[in-house]
Amino acid sequence: MKINYVTPAGEAVTVNAELGESLMEAAVRNGVDGIVAACGGCLSCATCHAYIDEPWLSKIDPQSQTEKDMLDYASHVEPDSRLTCQVPVTAELEGVIVRTPPSQD
Amino acid sequence: MLKSETSPKHIPESVVFDFDIYGDDRLTDDLHASYETLHRDAPDVFWTPRNGGHWMITRYEDIMDVVRDPEHFSVREMQIPRVEDPPLFIPLSLDPPDNIPYRQALMPFFAPKTVRAMEPKIRQFAIEMIEAVEKRGECDFVDDISSQFPVSVFMELMGMPLERLREFRTQADAFFESRSDEDIAANFGKIVAIMTELIETRRAEPKDDLISKMTQFEINGRPISLGELQSICSILFLGGMDTVTNVSSYLFRHLAGDAALQDRLSEEPEKIKDFIEEGLRSFGVVNTPRLVTKDFERFGVPFRQGDMVLCMLPLGGRDDRKTKDPNKFDIDREKIDHVTFSSGPHLCLGHTLARLEMRILTEEWLKRIPSFRLKPGTMAHSRVGTVMALEQLPLEWSV
Ligand code: HEM
Ligand code: FES
Repeated sequence: MKINYVTPAGEAVTVNAELGESLMEAAVRNGVDGIVAACGGCLSCATCHAYIDEPWLSKIDPQSQTEKDMLDYASHVEPDSRLTCQVPVTAELEGVIVRTPPSQD
Repeated sequence: MLKSETSPKHIPESVVFDFDIYGDDRLTDDLHASYETLHRDAPDVFWTPRNGGHWMITRYEDIMDVVRDPEHFSVREMQIPRVEDPPLFIPLSLDPPDNIPYRQALMPFFAPKTVRAMEPKIRQFAIEMIEAVEKRGECDFVDDISSQFPVSVFMELMGMPLERLREFRTQADAFFESRSDEDIAANFGKIVAIMTELIETRRAEPKDDLISKMTQFEINGRPISLGELQSICSILFLGGMDTVTNVSSYLFRHLAGDAALQDRLSEEPEKIKDFIEEGLRSFGVVNTPRLVTKDFERFGVPFRQGDMVLCMLPLGGRDDRKTKDPNKFDIDREKIDHVTFSSGPHLCLGHTLARLEMRILTEEWLKRIPSFRLKPGTMAHSRVGTVMALEQLPLEWSV
């Protein structure tokens, strides 16, 4: 599965992700700039924040209340913001574009 | 002697290594570098028979594994050696999912946005403190600066009335200086009493501050209890002071010995952020314990339910498998990896605030005292254990 990230510097990076891992894990495993993920996916840091473009955004399960609450405290939040540790890689995400925010703090 | 005879039967001889976290002969004045010799001399994961016997985890990846796995490694007990009635610190000593409602209630107060709003106040505290020593041409950085600064920030954060600053500071000093178990308990009791009084006052008459908001927290749909509030306040107090004090002290000791770095940071203040991050990597100060919840194997060693495990977070930052030349202080590294704030469900809640405090302290210090050095002939003794602390740091400069 190919996942496309755009780093804070605007650079496009494509990585090979495994089905079932999260967009955060795929980014961290491949050293993608802009996804910090300080808590490692425990929903306690909000530093895995990124924007997910349509049409993929609508294909992802909606946010849990916890993810919503955490996103409230991230910086540069937009309507298409998600915490990438909460988004599993599925077949439907083929070709997805994940844009990282200018910073995670 | 002490070695395998006193280790439980499940521990293979090959992973026993005798190390006393509360004072080992291997530890020198250059505490972090001397600790790092464990990477060379000891197994990655080893059992020391000292202090009741416990595991030590020394490598970045293994530490990450432990702190992100509450199912096998619980925070329920965090004392080495184990004690009868372990204290409950909320949210630190609750495993998921019990920690989550508290963590989420607290999160807004520690989020980057909130912390940024505190910057002007924090800067003012730093300036006052530095100006108080500037003309003297010398100070004990620990006594005069790094132990004072986070107390003011804590009071500001909590919404403690500034007229009680002196009283609270004296009490905080007494607590952090106490060494006997009785003194620690007595002084901690007094801190909790001051905060309880404030909780009661704010419950009756809420203001726009953290304590007032905390009294309104709802936990699983019911109002928070006084006991829970006291527990949270305690961990905020314990977690937010000694840590900032100690990292800043080690960092300034390093800076005092490197005139070129002082010049560079004065000329390029935008590099201070990297300086702080490299400082966090090089000078971690917390070793965090976990309790093994079941029998299983990991890292090639057998864990048994009830074993204590100590994650050496400062060694995670000095792991040569993660960081090239880990004992070199280099603010130009492309990537700075450390676990100084831990990771997983208990990732330090105050990490954004801590980084801000240290950045501002460095900025304001260098504006006023751009060139300084260690006072010759002074010792650099550290207290060691689960928290590492530089006891004093006499500095001097020309006025
Ligand atoms: C450089 C300074 C600091 C360091 C090195 C540090 C380190 C740590 C570490 C290692 C932990 C997690 C322990 C574990 O996983 O078992 C932790 C937790 C915590 N820290 Fe910090 N800390 C610092 C500053 C602060 C500040 C300024 C505050 C806030 C006033 C704070 C509040 C907390 C709290 C509340 C927890 C518990 C979080 C939880 O259990 O969910 N810390 N800290
Ligand atoms: S990695 Fe921490 S919230 Fe996603």
